[in-house]
Amino acid sequence: MKNKTVKITFTLLLPLLAVVLYACAQTASIAAWHPVEVPSQPMCSDCHTDSRAALNHTSDYSTRHKFYAAQNRQTCGVCHKESFCADCHAHKEELKPSDKYKDSPERALPHRGDYLTQHKIDGRINPASCFPCHGRQNNERCQVCHR
Amino acid sequence: MKKNKLSLKIRTGTIVLVIFALALVVPSPSSAATLLGDSSTYLQSRETTDATKILSAYEYLDFDVQNLGNETISFHTGGWLRYDVKNEGSDNKTNNDIQYSYLSLRSKTANSTVNLGRVMVFEGLAAERVDGAYAHTDLRGDFGMSAYAGVPVETTDIDLPGNSLIYGAHLTQQSAGLYRIGVSYLKEEKNSEDFRKEEGIDLWVHPLDKVEINGRSNYNAATKEWMENTYNLILGSFGGLRLITDYSAISYKDYFIGATTAVFRLKAGILDPNEKASILGETASYDLTTAVNVSVDYKSYSYDIAGNAKYLGGNLRYSVAQSGGAGLSYHRMEGDTDKLKYNEYRAYVFKKMGKTDLAIDVIDVKYDTAVNGVTSAYSASLAAQYDLTESLKVGADVEYSKNPDFDKDVRAFLKAIYRFDAGTGARKGA
Repeated sequence: MKNKTVKITFTLLLPLLAVVLYACAQTASIAAWHPVEVPSQPMCSDCHTDSRAALNHTSDYSTRHKFYAAQNRQTCGVCHKESFCADCHAHKEELKPSDKYKDSPERALPHRGDYLTQHKIDGRINPASCFPCHGRQNNERCQVCHR
Repeated sequence: MKKNKLSLKIRTGTIVLVIFALALVVPSPSSAATLLGDSSTYLQSRETTDATKILSAYEYLDFDVQNLGNETISFHTGGWLRYDVKNEGSDNKTNNDIQYSYLSLRSKTANSTVNLGRVMVFEGLAAERVDGAYAHTDLRGDFGMSAYAGVPVETTDIDLPGNSLIYGAHLTQQSAGLYRIGVSYLKEEKNSEDFRKEEGIDLWVHPLDKVEINGRSNYNAATKEWMENTYNLILGSFGGLRLITDYSAISYKDYFIGATTAVFRLKAGILDPNEKASILGETASYDLTTAVNVSVDYKSYSYDIAGNAKYLGGNLRYSVAQSGGAGLSYHRMEGDTDKLKYNEYRAYVFKKMGKTDLAIDVIDVKYDTAVNGVTSAYSASLAAQYDLTESLKVGADVEYSKNPDFDKDVRAFLKAIYRFDAGTGARKGA
């Protein structure tokens, strides 16, 4: 019965795949990486006038970057390596991003200072802000108390 | 049990597939494969709340191999391992993680991409790490489609059935420069039973010059309630002035039900699982010059069950690229409970002098009511980094703090960062 279901699903997926391939846009893919070097806090609107102009890395951008990444992550990938995302969005990460980059205090990185006390306050104020990194992944240090 | 085997087969199959694909495309010595990579070695000295002294060494490695025999094929991997040189409180002296590791096949048209291996998926409502496959392509009519499937990479430190499968898709449609709207679906199963069933809408709208709206609404199809509605309105810039309004409504019962870590096992009295929170914020940001920015911000936190709170303050920032900068900030938290009444101060300065970078950062939180007998929790750090060569940077920092959990805490951190591809010019911005 299970094999039959798999075969039917596979048979149905083949024409769907053909439709998708036909429907694929014929436009050129975006560059694998940005053709010119950009400054550390780029103002994309200096050169781009389309939706990329919204990606200006203003001082408040870090709180909104999730919206852009969820819609069009390929554009992020033109300038950022995968490890850039993994610095914060990682599975069982033990080192705070702000510890790795203490020499860049201007960067908006979570958990600055000794965050042990403050996390109890922030966690109650808006636990949803903790969830993306700690809801389904966690590290040994968190598990010392949160067992 | 059968599902456990199935997940193991998928995970093993994915790894085998990646190795097999690598073997097929691994470049000959004459091919033009480009290796980009970093090695970051850290040594951290710290003390736990029970006075256990720990000295840990970390090695982070990340590699991107471009043009693997063909310019459309690449391989990306990143991970870390830790060894405790000194740890008086635990026998568990090591840990490690493969953060991501996948083979990527990329078409020259339609942004068509297939990633195989351990992939990070950020698509619509999904922010997942998956051992499996991810694919994306642009379609005719300015549509775009992404799909993924595999075994979720999760910490499961609460009592949940063994393993799981996750799959989902994201469909977008856009009018370049005007809007982009997406719908997404995610399903996670544990032992053939639904664990998560989520649906989402995401949008970015730019209806007028200097007006932008973005946000998302995520629906929990298992509980049949909205998990989250989060939206931003951004106005500006009007001569350097930008106004940002943000609103977020979260239903804890529906939002946190898919948690697999004990952190989110909510309890009434601490964090009520039936809580509903709504957060309304406003930020006004003004660029006095290209180097100086001043901003004021306000947030109102409203809860159905817990007491409400308001958070307001301002920031002054100065920054000159490749030179240095400084920042000052003050915020006041004014909540209904004693713990939510405090002032927050921060001052930092950083300076680049030739091959040397220096930074000082001071953070102080003053509570209206003492916590563990302490009314002022502060930390001060001094960091320095030196470019030994174009490829190798070394750095050190020390942080001193005093707070309700530590009488006197001193932490030290050493680092050495080596870039394998320095000087090749073949590197992304970060």
